[in-house]
Amino acid sequence: MELKNKIISKLHNFMILPAFLLFSIFFIYPLLKGIGLSLTDYDGMTKANFVGFDNFIEFFKDHRAMNDVKTTILFALGSAPLLNIFGFLYALLLDRKFVGKSIIRTIIYLPAVISPLIMGYIWYFILQPKRGFIYSLIESVSGNALDFNWLGNSSMAIWVIVIVNVWQFVGMTMVIYLAGLQAIPEELHEAGMIDGASYLQRIRYITLPMMIQPIKINVITNIIGSLAVFEIIIALTDGGPGYSTESLSIYIMRKCYGSFTGYSTAVAIVLFFIVLIPVYISFKYLNKKNVEM
Amino acid sequence: MKQYVYRFIRLIIIITISLLALFPFYVLAILAFTPSSVNFSEKLILLPNLYFDNFIEAWKISNIGQAIANSLIITVGAVTINVVLSSMAGYAVARVKNKTNKIMFLIMLGCMMIPGIINTVPLYTLMIAIGGINTHWAMILVLATNSLPFSIFLYSGFIGGIPKTIEEAAIIDGCSRIGAFFRVVFPLLKPVTSAVVIINGLSIWNNYAQAVFFLQKQSMKTIPLAISMFFQQYGAKWHLMAAASMIGLAPAVFTFIIFQKYFIKGITAGSVKG
Repeated sequence: MELKNKIISKLHNFMILPAFLLFSIFFIYPLLKGIGLSLTDYDGMTKANFVGFDNFIEFFKDHRAMNDVKTTILFALGSAPLLNIFGFLYALLLDRKFVGKSIIRTIIYLPAVISPLIMGYIWYFILQPKRGFIYSLIESVSGNALDFNWLGNSSMAIWVIVIVNVWQFVGMTMVIYLAGLQAIPEELHEAGMIDGASYLQRIRYITLPMMIQPIKINVITNIIGSLAVFEIIIALTDGGPGYSTESLSIYIMRKCYGSFTGYSTAVAIVLFFIVLIPVYISFKYLNKKNVEM
Repeated sequence: MKQYVYRFIRLIIIITISLLALFPFYVLAILAFTPSSVNFSEKLILLPNLYFDNFIEAWKISNIGQAIANSLIITVGAVTINVVLSSMAGYAVARVKNKTNKIMFLIMLGCMMIPGIINTVPLYTLMIAIGGINTHWAMILVLATNSLPFSIFLYSGFIGGIPKTIEEAAIIDGCSRIGAFFRVVFPLLKPVTSAVVIINGLSIWNNYAQAVFFLQKQSMKTIPLAISMFFQQYGAKWHLMAAASMIGLAPAVFTFIIFQKYFIKGITAGSVKG
C-alpha cells in the first residue's frame, strides 16, 4: 500500500511518456528507417543494397521530378499567400456583429469539413469539358457551346487547382484569424479612433501587430499543407495532362508503388527540405517581427 | 448616408461569398436528386427534385454503409486515444518543466513539418511485421499518432493559462498529482478538447494518404476510399456518384453543424492565448 502510493505520487513526472512512446513507434522509428532506405536501391521485394547518395544524384537528373518540384512550388506560391490574404479579409468582414453571423461562418467553413478528394471530384464535375455543369449552363443560356478545357490545358490547370484549394480551405484560415481578432481588446481600437486613425490605419498599426501569433500559425500550416498537396490534384487532373500538374507527393506515391521504394524515400527527404526552408525563414521573420512590436 | 452605403456593400459581399461556398453543394444536390436519364446539356435543371432512386442504388452498389462504419470506428478510436495521451502530455509540458519533457515536446513539434509520405514506406513494412494491414486497431494507432504533436501544442498552451491554485487545493486534500489532473484539470479542458476533437476528427475522417496504403481489403475501406473507388468504377454515372458523395459527406457535415459553436471558442482558447 505504501509502495503503491509512492509510485502514484511520482507518476506525474512520466505523463508525456505514453504519447512519446506511441510517437516513437509509429513516427520516429519509420522516419529513421526511411532515411536509411533512401540510401539504398530497395524495390519493395528483394534485398536492399547500399548505394550511398546515388538516389539523390539521380533525383537532380530526373526531368519528371524536376517538373514536379516546379509544379509543387508554383502551387504553394499561389495557394499559401492567397489563403492568408483571403482568410484575413474574410475574418475582418465577419468579425463585426450582424444578424446571422454564426450561420455565415459555418457556411464558409463548411467546404473545409469535406475530404479534398471528394471535393475535387465535385469540382471536376462542375468544370469538366462537354458534360460539366458550367458548360451545360453556358450552353443552355447562350445557345453556344464553349469549346475550352480548363483542366486539359497544362498552364491553366494548375491555377484552377490553386483556386479550388483556396476556395476549400479559406474558411480554416479565416477561423484562426477570427480567433486572433477576438483576442484584441476593444479599448485599443477606441483609443485609435479618438486619435483620429482611419480604418486602414487602425488595421495597419493596431490589428496587424496584435495578430502575429495567428499569422504564424496560418502561414506555417499553409506552407506545409500546400507543399504536400496530394488529394485535390488526384481528383481534378490526376497529375495530367501528361505529368504537367503532378506534385512531388504524388510522384513519391507512384514511385513507391512502382517498386522504386528506395528512390521514393530519397525524393520524400528532398520534399522535407523543400518544406523546411520556407517554414524556417517565415518562422524566424515572424519571431523577429514579434519582438520588434 | 455613407455608412449605409458601406453596410450595403458589405452585405452584398457577405452574401456573395456564402453563395460561393455553397455552390458545389448545390450542384451536388441537383445531380443526386435528378434521374440519370436526364442529360444536362439538353435540359438544364436548377432545382432539386424529390427523386431518391440514385441514393438507393448508390447505397446498394457502393458498400458505403460498411465504409461509414469503418470510418466511424477508426475516427472514434483514434480521437479517443489522441485526447487522452495528448492532454496528459500537454499537462506535463505546461506544469512539469524539466529537460526531458521539453526535449520530447520539441522533437514532436519538429516532426509536424515532415510530410507523412516519407514515413509511408517504412511504416508499411512495420505494419506488415506487426500484422496491422487491413485492421482497425493499427489504423487507429497510426492516425492517433499523426495528430499528436498539434494536439499537445494546443493542450499545453491552454493548460498554461489555467491558475495552478485549482489543482493545488486538490493535492492538499490528499489527491495525487495525476489524480488531480484527471479529476480537477481535465474537466476544465472542455473548450480545447472540443477543438482537438473537431480538428483531428475531421482530418482522421477524411484521411486518404495513409488509408490508401494500409486498408486495401474491400470490407475495410473508409469513406474517401469507397468514394474514390466508386468514382473509378462508375465515373461516368454522375448521378450515382453525386448520391454516393452526398451520403459520404453527410456525417461530417451534420457533426460539424452540431458542434460548430464550440469550435471557434476552442481554437481561440488553444491557439491564440497559448
